[in-house]
Amino acid sequence: MIINGVTIDETFAEAFPMKGTRLIITALNAKWAMISAQAFTGFATSVIACGCEAGIERELDPSETPDGRPGVSILIFAMGGKGLAKQVETRAGQCVLTSPTSALFSGLESETEMALGQNLRYFGDGFQISKMIDGKRYWRIPVMDGEFLTQEKTGVQASVGGGNFLVLAESQAQALAACEAAIVEMKKIPNVIMPFPGGVVRSGSKVGSKFKALNASTNDAFCPTLKGQTKSDLSPEVESVMEIVIDGLTKEDIDKAMRVGIQAVCDLGAENGIRRISAGNYGGKLGPFHFHLQEIMA
Amino acid sequence: MSSLIFTLNTSVKQRIDCSPLTSDLLADKSVADIAAIELVVGNAIERVDALFDITGDDASDIKFVNSTDKLDFVGRNMTSGKLTVEGNVGGYLGLFLDGGEIEVTGNTGIYTACEMKSGQIKVNGNAGDFVGGVRPGYRNGMTGGTVIVTGNTGARTGDHMRRGMILIEGNAGDYCGARMISGTIAVLGGVGAHLGYAMKRGTLLLMQAPAQGISANFNDCGSHTLAFLPLLFNSFAKLESKFASVESFSRVQRYAGDVAGIGMGEILVKI
Repeated sequence: MIINGVTIDETFAEAFPMKGTRLIITALNAKWAMISAQAFTGFATSVIACGCEAGIERELDPSETPDGRPGVSILIFAMGGKGLAKQVETRAGQCVLTSPTSALFSGLESETEMALGQNLRYFGDGFQISKMIDGKRYWRIPVMDGEFLTQEKTGVQASVGGGNFLVLAESQAQALAACEAAIVEMKKIPNVIMPFPGGVVRSGSKVGSKFKALNASTNDAFCPTLKGQTKSDLSPEVESVMEIVIDGLTKEDIDKAMRVGIQAVCDLGAENGIRRISAGNYGGKLGPFHFHLQEIMA
Repeated sequence: MSSLIFTLNTSVKQRIDCSPLTSDLLADKSVADIAAIELVVGNAIERVDALFDITGDDASDIKFVNSTDKLDFVGRNMTSGKLTVEGNVGGYLGLFLDGGEIEVTGNTGIYTACEMKSGQIKVNGNAGDFVGGVRPGYRNGMTGGTVIVTGNTGARTGDHMRRGMILIEGNAGDYCGARMISGTIAVLGGVGAHLGYAMKRGTLLLMQAPAQGISANFNDCGSHTLAFLPLLFNSFAKLESKFASVESFSRVQRYAGDVAGIGMGEILVKI
């Protein structure tokens, strides 16, 4: 398949099951809601070493938030429910509770729930106040700038992590420009995040390593400087490869995000140095969710 | 199917225990069966059809018509359905209510919503003493649900209340929130003396400062913007009540007490 001079490889991206939730952070103004959200989602690019993958889904208008203040919606994913709960609790405690004027709410309704502010309340040292509003429990925790309001629980749902595609370009600058264009479009899709810095990762990995301590290592088949040293998947004119990784609440959400992202890259086309779109295919070793590029773009 | 209607057809001198006449207990019963149910009237027993004309057959939608304040225990232990009372009703309306809706067009007697667990009671009139309270000797009053009173409430509203919400569009009597364990009472009108007496936790939300002042057992914590209040007002929006149209606010003067006890309750006064 070729779109605007860009070859879409006959391959698929492999993704794996995760547990995910959506949280809503609000604050006195959009600036502080964003600061808190950025703190919460910091160092959350990959479960390989961060324990979770998290990102900002979008900014929320005051009319969209529970307390009528500006807010930010974030998604966080982990390999299991317990790991997710731990990450949410520590990040909420250190990054949202501490952030001036913030409040924290669940953004996901689900039969399965986990603690959100349930344990943070003990920071109130006995002065915390519970409020049941519309069947949901909230905690009012006295803090030095007033009160930190947090919902007691948030929903958890089975999700998908690791959807991806690779952008193969003639230069680093062209690969980056294409990925930036893709991210702009993908950010318009709900229920997904691209957890890496700016949504783009330049150090895509393969499963396993020659070093026993590592369970992932550089994806040498797509490293342009190794073209003559390893079994490369790159043609001579490809000088740079970048990857966009997508986590979503459902497989369908990732499908949509991949479609608009790849389309944005292809819109730049061969005339802008984009040669191929490929994907992280690990021969079925990584996960049960397969995103076939040509089917997505059909 | 049409509403199951009990029209009081006699001038009642003694109190009637209406607790057998709820959706739960009348489900799957024929009109003849219902007519034969025996009610305690004072120290006597009377059949339902000796007191009420019965029409309709939908036990999930019960109406008491021509009601008087002699009808006690209406809606006791009800868990589902709708119960409407046209007229006044006696004591213990919605005792142990655990679901469903009760609406009264007139006034209610003492212990309305006593030890209620969930559901909604709306009184389109005045309610007596101990709304949402606890029976003497017991520890927990109302533990859930919502009570709306469009008129005034008597003394000791929310006595030993543990959870849930009481919304009073008129005035609340003396000792409002007394011995309250938790939950929320909001009052659009005025409140009587001894507000929050022996209150442990919970919130008394007032739209106007108490005419008789705040007890010395409550300490002034200053004026604050509280983030939970907009959520609370949002939750009122779906109610058929003046509270649905109250303009949301978050600035309040906060008083904490009763400091003679654990002092974790709060009186919030709009500023």
